[in-house]
Amino acid sequence: MKIRFITFIMVLGLILSACATATSQVPVTTEAVTEVPVVEEPTGGGMVVLIIPEEPTTLNYYMSDAAITRQVADATSMTGLVVVDEKGEFIPVLAAELPTDANGGLSADKLTVTWKLLPDLKWSDGEPLTSDDVKFTWEALSNPTSGALAGTGGIELITAIDTPDATTAVVHYSAPWAGYLAQFAYGLFPRHAAGDPAVMSEWEWNRQPVGAGPFVVSEWASGESISMDPNPNYYQEGKPYLSKLVFRIIPEPAAQLALMKQGDAHVQLWPGVDDPNEYGTYVGEGAHEEMVPGVWNLAIDFNLSKPFDGDPGATEPHPILGDLRVRQATSSAIDYDTLIQDVLRNTVAASTSPFAYGWYQCDIPRTHPYDVDTANTLLDEAGWKMGSDGIRVAEGALYAEDGTRLSLELQGYTNFEPLQKTEEFIVENLKAVGVEAKIQNYDFSIIFGAYEDNSPRMIGDYDMLIYDRSLSIEPQGAVENDYLSTQIPTAENPTGGNIWRWVNTDGDAFIQQAGSTFDLAVRKAAYCGLGNLIATELPQLYIYIYQDGYGYANNLSGYVVSTWGSMVWDVQNWKLVGE
Amino acid sequence: MTNRSLGSQILHRFFKHRLAVFAVVLLALMVVLALGANLTQYTPTEQDPSNPFMSPTTAHWFGTDELGRDIFTRILYGSRVSLLVGLISTLLTISLGVAVGAISGYYGGWLDNVLMRITDTFLTFPTIFVLIILSSLLRELPFPWLKNSILVVIVIIAALSWMWPARLVRSLFITLREREFVTATRALGGSSAGIIIRHILPNCLGPILVSGTLQMAYAIITESGLSYLGFGVQPPTPTWGAILSTAQVYVFRAPWMAIYPGVMIFITVMTINYIGDGLRDAFDPYVIHSEK
Amino acid sequence: MANYALRRVLQSIPILFILSILLFAMVRAAPGGPLSAAYRNPNITKEQIALLKHQLGLDLPLPVQYANWLGDMLQGDMGDSIKFRRPVSEMIAERIPNTIVLVGVSFLVTLIIALPIGILSARKPYSFFDYLTTTLTFIGQSVPVYWLGLALILVFYVSIQNPYTGEPIFPAAGMRTIGQDKNLADLAWHLVLPVTALSASWAAWYSRFLRSSLLDVLHEDYVRTARAKGASDRIVYYKHALRNAILPLVTLIGLDLPSLFAGALFIETIFAWPGMGRLFWDAARGRDYPVLLAVVMIDAVIIISCNILADLFYGILDPRVKYD
Repeated sequence: MKIRFITFIMVLGLILSACATATSQVPVTTEAVTEVPVVEEPTGGGMVVLIIPEEPTTLNYYMSDAAITRQVADATSMTGLVVVDEKGEFIPVLAAELPTDANGGLSADKLTVTWKLLPDLKWSDGEPLTSDDVKFTWEALSNPTSGALAGTGGIELITAIDTPDATTAVVHYSAPWAGYLAQFAYGLFPRHAAGDPAVMSEWEWNRQPVGAGPFVVSEWASGESISMDPNPNYYQEGKPYLSKLVFRIIPEPAAQLALMKQGDAHVQLWPGVDDPNEYGTYVGEGAHEEMVPGVWNLAIDFNLSKPFDGDPGATEPHPILGDLRVRQATSSAIDYDTLIQDVLRNTVAASTSPFAYGWYQCDIPRTHPYDVDTANTLLDEAGWKMGSDGIRVAEGALYAEDGTRLSLELQGYTNFEPLQKTEEFIVENLKAVGVEAKIQNYDFSIIFGAYEDNSPRMIGDYDMLIYDRSLSIEPQGAVENDYLSTQIPTAENPTGGNIWRWVNTDGDAFIQQAGSTFDLAVRKAAYCGLGNLIATELPQLYIYIYQDGYGYANNLSGYVVSTWGSMVWDVQNWKLVGE
Repeated sequence: MTNRSLGSQILHRFFKHRLAVFAVVLLALMVVLALGANLTQYTPTEQDPSNPFMSPTTAHWFGTDELGRDIFTRILYGSRVSLLVGLISTLLTISLGVAVGAISGYYGGWLDNVLMRITDTFLTFPTIFVLIILSSLLRELPFPWLKNSILVVIVIIAALSWMWPARLVRSLFITLREREFVTATRALGGSSAGIIIRHILPNCLGPILVSGTLQMAYAIITESGLSYLGFGVQPPTPTWGAILSTAQVYVFRAPWMAIYPGVMIFITVMTINYIGDGLRDAFDPYVIHSEK
Repeated sequence: MANYALRRVLQSIPILFILSILLFAMVRAAPGGPLSAAYRNPNITKEQIALLKHQLGLDLPLPVQYANWLGDMLQGDMGDSIKFRRPVSEMIAERIPNTIVLVGVSFLVTLIIALPIGILSARKPYSFFDYLTTTLTFIGQSVPVYWLGLALILVFYVSIQNPYTGEPIFPAAGMRTIGQDKNLADLAWHLVLPVTALSASWAAWYSRFLRSSLLDVLHEDYVRTARAKGASDRIVYYKHALRNAILPLVTLIGLDLPSLFAGALFIETIFAWPGMGRLFWDAARGRDYPVLLAVVMIDAVIIISCNILADLFYGILDPRVKYD
């Protein structure tokens, strides 16, 4: 008996001491000084390993619905007529120049756009890349059974594409399309190597694209890695510099960090460590993290109409949220600085309107900053008296019957930790001013489902929603669909996007204005007018915008991080030191 | 052997197994701590974002996590989940398993056939896969009582574990029902139910209890595994598996975050295993313990 | 014997059938469909999603979908992955060898460790060796497999370096070193950590099981008879006791081997091993139901086959067992 016991204690002791030494070996630093060291001029060549947390389902960007596709496909199949650079400006890529009024590329009636391609372009398999391929791309994307999902804005407006010669493509629109510059920005399809547009989902091309990008897929080991070799026919002479690109699929964050730490990988996509400045603590001196503002903008959506009354429209106001003062109080109750700096550790940046990036970026001050006293005063004035359990109760409120508790449901989507943390923090903030918010998270398909699926936000049966949303480089379509007073989703208009049931004639006027001209300055002013309205009327409360983070090994150079691009949008310029 | 009753003989043998006794004490301690979890000065969700990743201090015995929450409190609340899941799912598993096994083993015939076919069907379920599917399914059906993910986890683990005790009890019953004391009782007019419950079942107590401890250990490990993968108990409820999953990312910065939940799972399962070992020895008259 | 095997196989068919219905119902009843990410993308219109649904046959009534699926499966067509738009059979064919390698090697290692330990510790029960191994096996059984995997990565990949090359001792992810051609040595090197994590608790369990099985057998009458007849201790032990004690272990292995595949799921995730478990987990998160169903059905077939094989093997080892 004793021997058994002693042995047990011995072994336990061994284990515990092992744990202790492991713990003490890991340095605990509170501040990491990460300066990007000066690298010597690299000479070209070398293999770069990029870590991705999940496998892309296809390399055909137009077929995909997941962000990861672009992060890999951008190196091979997404080289198109233009690209959006890190400043949000259009740069010609396969096109010789951007078509404008001045050079005659854009017709006076704005219905004809003439693209001129660079001379002697080739696909990765050596075949010539001509205007006929531009035409084929349109044919594929506009085919009703192709199943194309992404990057198709404006395609339905194109009536025909003429190809008078191999380097000229004349695109005819049925109506002026403000986003014409972005047409064909996400890659071209080769007529000779892609396949029948009616069955685009079955193309071999989707797994092994023949593209115009700097790299070509050489091996796709399912679940493990995608390897790429340089494109011998790349349109820029002498590039790409690297000799091999390998995307490794590693789901577990600890394993990802371990690889970066050991120098077995050079780029880590979306590191997900809480504080980018601390990245060095995790991976040592050999790598650092760079953050770039993203396009995913987090806001709380308020339902201004009464929920659960069988009426999706705006007729009855929401008993609690219908009163502007309550919404203002909500805005004043949230401690934005602590949320952004401490809870989310500066992986996000403050945001006050949907127009937070790109050419339409507006500078709108926060109309109701954090001030608990203001919040309390507003709620008192609005007729909500503090109850005995710390939650306010209606007593002379605008729309609510006396005795109603100030209790709201906060809906978000599942499986995203930063959102979870944000929700929990906001709930605590609201509790401090007497507002009860209950978190209820659902899967994407429920939150973002269709009207026919009885998605709560579409039929108007919710209190508050919180999630991140984005606007593309051409926002007019989305803005019209979401903010026009006529676009409240109902049975007659199931695809409407005005989920807040916000009726506002001034807002409608701004939207019409923005859609009536191609003049970016005028449009931007209109959008900013709308943004100001949103900030004062508060159908939505914008909180922060996510930043994209990328981990880079210090011996990698030549890259520029871009809000508008993936991690490999400029991979042809990358170099490795010492190769 | 003196003329003690069977029960006290069993107890006596159990107490000779010092490690098992130590395990019982440890487990009792853990239960007490779990029950008293809300007596700590922190709540498991109380955030202090300006003080994350603190190493263990007197203010925070296990340090703080990435949101500044007290890890010790969270671990304690996590033990509530694990012990609850372990206990209740085991009770369910054993009850269902014993019922099925007893009926099947005692009556035989077509009833046995049907029950065994059902058992076999369940046995062909690839457990972890079906657990994951069931977990994601049940959580999203619009029934209010399914919102409690702890309940869901308890039920699905029990639903996929009852077959093992069922088989065990069935084979025990098949052997025991031929014994003389049973035929005698039946001859004297005893009812089947009475025979099952009062005569045969007590003889199976040992293996059933041992099976129970195995089930409990399995349930705890499975629950933490599911939570680790994201398919178990949902946040914000802290569970050991979920804490471990988050701690992974920070393992280079704050390794103790990952060590504590792992150690807790380990200790809990170890104690249960030792208790099972003690029970096995207690019920098995052939075991010889040499005193050294 | 062949008759018995055939009968068992035939008996399993209705079970598989019921299983397929239950699984199909479970998988398809969950609201989060495979297209849920598409809903999120503001650039994708509802018409496009409706078209996709139609193309994938997701808008047919459920029983019809089931019938189609079953019909295809019986002809060997496991359908196409909704996410990857590739035949599921192709994806599984790519991944299953990786899992077989991982599980197979782990199984062998488990046996290599468990058999000697179980045999030797029962040979001299309550000795120091026995207590040591008992404690170690208890520990092995109690450590969660994913924690062990993480710990191994930390120790052997991050903390300890090869003193000669300064490189980590063992790789932390994947099956092979990128840039190298496939070779056996590289594979073996990548197998070390995952196999260790996977076999630790299995070896612990099997050796304990064997030990207690042996101890039970040693009390049996025929053992005492053999001893009384003057057979040497060693012959009694190895020839009589072991032969009979192996049998419950065989049954256990048969019932249990499929669980190794399950444990492999955690290991494959942590070590980025491209196997079936990972495939299932990715499909579960993406609600890629053709893949889910195919993987689970295949696993069920494996379970049934292992059970039948274990029973047959039992029959070979134990001449008393007769199959009619």
